[in-house]
Amino acid sequence: MMSYDFSVVLRFSDALTLGLVMTLKLTVLSILIGSVIGFAVALARTSSNGVLRFICATYVEFFRGTPVLVQLFWIFFCLPLILGVELSNLVSGVIALSLYMGAVSSETFRAALRTVGPEQHDAAIALGLPSHVEVTYVVLPQALLRAAPPLLSNSVSLFKESALVSAVGLADLMFVGQNISNTTGRPVEVLTIVALIYFVIAFPITRVVTVFERRMLRKLKA
Amino acid sequence: MNYTFDLGAVTRNFDVLLQGLSLTLQLTIAANIVGLILGFLLALMLVSRFALVRGPATAFVEFFRCTPALIQIVWFFYCVPMLFNVFIGSITMAVLALGLNLAAFNAEAYRAAIQAVPREHEDAGIALGLSPLQRVLYIILPSAIRASVPVLLTNGIGILQQSALVSIVAVPDLMYEAKTLATETYRPIETFTIVALMYFAISLPVSQLVGWLERRRPA
Repeated sequence: MMSYDFSVVLRFSDALTLGLVMTLKLTVLSILIGSVIGFAVALARTSSNGVLRFICATYVEFFRGTPVLVQLFWIFFCLPLILGVELSNLVSGVIALSLYMGAVSSETFRAALRTVGPEQHDAAIALGLPSHVEVTYVVLPQALLRAAPPLLSNSVSLFKESALVSAVGLADLMFVGQNISNTTGRPVEVLTIVALIYFVIAFPITRVVTVFERRMLRKLKA
Repeated sequence: MNYTFDLGAVTRNFDVLLQGLSLTLQLTIAANIVGLILGFLLALMLVSRFALVRGPATAFVEFFRCTPALIQIVWFFYCVPMLFNVFIGSITMAVLALGLNLAAFNAEAYRAAIQAVPREHEDAGIALGLSPLQRVLYIILPSAIRASVPVLLTNGIGILQQSALVSIVAVPDLMYEAKTLATETYRPIETFTIVALMYFAISLPVSQLVGWLERRRPA
């Protein structure tokens, strides 16, 4: 039986911090871009244009129906070939994760948009609001409020999925952790600590989601 | 762009991809069996009135839900043999890692469904003079399990997607074969596109089924 020495991990705290910063940067950027895509796609799916609806539905189903790892590999290896330009690792990672987040969050927004009743749309017409004003001042605020808790859950999922970029060599927390674990030969200590770092960030957010949801349920009932 | 498409590189090696696909499907099904059964037991623990039973189950579920699946798989492959001094075949290990991950998500699905059974149903059971065990077996569980089916199906097909992660620890699943093929033939676009379509072709019917089940369920 070997003995475990968790202090080895401390020696690499700088490297792990750098990895964590990369993970957070990637996650936050992808959440922001992905949510915008998601909202736009959700709106487009309520459009009267059948072709637009079909394209958006295919996009959503495709990104939800294939492994994120395959999407990442596709963006990393195929997009540069097709576009003919070199993309940095970070840019490719953000593109892949944003597209995934867009597909997932569009479903969240779609469910939220459904709760904005048709009478709101009628009221906007009666007030003579142009459609872009209706979207930004009537639909968006209500949809965002309803979508906030599931959107936070989506963000936690994305944070977890971001670990996949380590497979294409982007130096995120997972990548740094695996490297340290390989060079020191102490996977038990290193990988456990890395898992705990992910947990310490993700868990509080899931708690916030639960509290938020409960409070909103009460508010909607009242 | 000066890239000529050549699907031949993929079609000539299609049998390799099919072997990978077969392993991917086996992993998915085996993990689903583990996840459905273990998830149910965990859910029963989660709704227990004893904190001593609830505690470990909650810790298990939260830990698996709040860490990346990738690190769980890597952790299992590197740390389980060292910690417990056992050597388990890589496929069994993959099933175990994916199955435990799925069990945590399924446990939440079952728990939500159990707690959503209206209080009146249980009151009716009491009024009819059913014993506590009969109330659980004949009133709560049948409607809870029926209500949890769409989420269980969604989680189950999610494991098909997550199973691609085992390629990182060199289990020869569909994704692993795809990576090897793309490297050997220098045909990443053709290979990864076809492999993505293969995953999609399996997921799509299941997600359509879930959509249909959710639509026909009385609100």
